[in-house]
Amino acid sequence: MDTIVLIAITILAFTIAFVKDKSKTKKSMEVAKKMFQNTFLEVLTIMALVALFLSWIPASVIKNMLGNANEMLSIVLGVAIGTITIIPAFVAFPLAGSLLESGAHLRAIAAFITTLTMVGFATMPIEIKYFGRKFTFVRNGISILAALLIALGMGLIL
Amino acid sequence: MSYVEKIKKYKLQIITAVLYLITVVYKQEMALYAAQITFGYLKEMIQILPAVFIISGLITIWVPKEVVMKNFGKESGFKGKTFSILMGSVSAGPIYAAFPVAFSLLSKGASISNVVVIISAWAVVKIPMLLVEAKFLSLNFMMVRALFTIPAILLVGYITGRLVKEEDVMANKDESDFRKNIIIQIESVLPHYDCGGCGYKNCRRYAEDIVAGKSDIDQCSVGGEEVQERIQEILRPISLE
Repeated sequence: MDTIVLIAITILAFTIAFVKDKSKTKKSMEVAKKMFQNTFLEVLTIMALVALFLSWIPASVIKNMLGNANEMLSIVLGVAIGTITIIPAFVAFPLAGSLLESGAHLRAIAAFITTLTMVGFATMPIEIKYFGRKFTFVRNGISILAALLIALGMGLIL
Repeated sequence: MSYVEKIKKYKLQIITAVLYLITVVYKQEMALYAAQITFGYLKEMIQILPAVFIISGLITIWVPKEVVMKNFGKESGFKGKTFSILMGSVSAGPIYAAFPVAFSLLSKGASISNVVVIISAWAVVKIPMLLVEAKFLSLNFMMVRALFTIPAILLVGYITGRLVKEEDVMANKDESDFRKNIIIQIESVLPHYDCGGCGYKNCRRYAEDIVAGKSDIDQCSVGGEEVQERIQEILRPISLE
């Protein structure tokens, strides 16, 4: 759904821009093309690597880690797994749901989901390309701490 | 390009291919499964990335700097934070799709902390994703997590903004002498798309040759006259020497 909205907005913006000023819009497309060429192959390669790691580690291993007898350790592992991997939402949420049902800790799951989407070791090369090392390391580092805080806070309420 | 340079450039791709080969030999189903997931990612990328890049391109060329600065800049305050969260949460696609858009806004004067808020909101508080979360975990879980996540994102933005400055993003930090400083200043006003329109490999090389006196300042086709004027201003202290 959101993808369709995004594409619709893009087409609309492009059409308005094109009607207003052809040469300026052509320039915009040159910029877009260059960005695409610079990023596409890299993103695809990283996704292929993530997919490979996912195939190496079966879901049962993740389940054992997040349901560890020591809850604190589970939370840390949740942060670690979430940080290293990128899993699309449509896979991550059903997985998280089944993990929770089969006895994983709630706070570990919260830490896992939050880092999964907000922090990414796998996407760091792309982030560095745009924003440089310092920005990337600081943002990811602080986001990991924030994910821990969110997880601990959720444990207080739920 | 020499072979060494080529290998260096495609280092990651080569490593990935080797790992896949090893996996195929070790266990065919495993590699097949990985290929299937990759194909799923590819489908998502093809649906989302072209739109994201076109929007970034349009922002870069069309949106005036003043507008971005007013709504997402350092002085934008509460309004800027609200806009940033909204912008992230209504967008589509995973976190890597946020980088080009966020970068276009940064180069137009958005503040570092707002850029971080956009990226984070894009990643974690997306509305369609929240619905999926409510369905598979529980409505309660989703709402409580969102409740904690929004202030956390603002905090991450604030701290990152305090620790990282615009210059850190636009240039290397350890360059200290005067000449390098000028190069960095020029580089920071160039559009940073490394489009090659000026005949150089990237914006950095072009900036270096301007300072070395080997290139004119009117070569950047993306930046146009505005960039040319700003380069002239940066070069003024040198020409007075």
